[in-house]
Amino acid sequence: MRRVGNTALAAVSVTALCTGAWLLHGGAGSHAPPQPSAAERRTDGTHGTHGTDGTQDTNGARRRAAPALPHSPPDRIRIPSIRVDAPLTGLGLTAAGSLDAPPAQKKNLAGWYAAGTAPGERGTAIVAGHVDNTDGPAVFYDLGALRKGAAIEVDRRDGSTAVFTVDAVEAYPASDFPDEKVYGAADRPELRVITCGGGYARSTGYQGNVVVFAHLTGSVR
Amino acid sequence: MRRTVRLLTGTALAAAVAGRIAAPAYGAETGGLELRPAVAVPGVEVAVDTAACGEGGSAAGDAAAVGAGRFTLAPGGHHGDATGRFRVPPSAQPGTYEIVARCADGGREVRGDLVVALGTVGRGQVQPHGSVKTGVGGALGPDPVQTAAGVAALAVAAAGGTWLLHRRARGDRI
Repeated sequence: MRRVGNTALAAVSVTALCTGAWLLHGGAGSHAPPQPSAAERRTDGTHGTHGTDGTQDTNGARRRAAPALPHSPPDRIRIPSIRVDAPLTGLGLTAAGSLDAPPAQKKNLAGWYAAGTAPGERGTAIVAGHVDNTDGPAVFYDLGALRKGAAIEVDRRDGSTAVFTVDAVEAYPASDFPDEKVYGAADRPELRVITCGGGYARSTGYQGNVVVFAHLTGSVR
Repeated sequence: MRRTVRLLTGTALAAAVAGRIAAPAYGAETGGLELRPAVAVPGVEVAVDTAACGEGGSAAGDAAAVGAGRFTLAPGGHHGDATGRFRVPPSAQPGTYEIVARCADGGREVRGDLVVALGTVGRGQVQPHGSVKTGVGGALGPDPVQTAAGVAALAVAAAGGTWLLHRRARGDRI
């Protein structure tokens, strides 16, 4: 009986030791967020809207651009391959003209630029979310790990779901941000998903943004 | 051994869950006076829409704050919303302006903010520029809750180890 008690006590002690060491060492996710690899970069070299009319996905199938949907505000974004499923709030601009970020304390909340194109509509729709907040990883922590050909789904208020296919994943420094590439008007329904990335410095924070380029390839009602 | 492994996994999971507190609930925005675009450059026409006056209701709009004067909201939007439009004067200065509409029936007032910005315009929209501040580095530093849980777990290990050694010193079989 005592022997069983001792074994249990030893097991609990070892478990506590391992757990404590693991938690203090950083545990799950207390590391730099993933950054896009060179293979996920844009290959056309020009404005993404004109260079390619389809994307090679992981199965080698080409994804054709789908016809534009009417205007309807988005409610939710899902990116199954990186386990994102988050509500969307409307975003405006800061006094400096940059896109505002959603409230940082809500870690599973993303935002869309509500004065611009709605996802699914013709043009460039913009979605942004935090890579982390003071508590740890946030909604788009894994955005830099997204691959070309991955699907992004946006639920819209009219009951439809706009399905986008990823064309490229890029990291841009804040000091040399390609406004036209990222925010410029497009002739077909496109989507940009933006979060922080590109290295971190304690004094200045993240050095830039990870930007996902995608275009509409389907819709579900 | 199998029992130990299961116990270890269970404890680690419980500790990991304790270290990550669930996300807060998300509240949807409430209705009011909807402006499209809500961020406009001078000279652009802004569409105004409200459901506050009920189905088929109309309203008197006031955009004098931005120098556009009065306008009318007539039924005709989705679900019988009252809709209207006004033009931001070309001389408007950057800033935030309150646009007001008063329902013809009942006199209820609804308000919405119009931001006037100087910027690049693509199809009548103001494009953002520059990078977006979407991170603070919180994923990189230690999580205080996690650190506390780690310290507590080490304390448990120390207490358990001490107790076992104590028993062994007393000559008990382990």
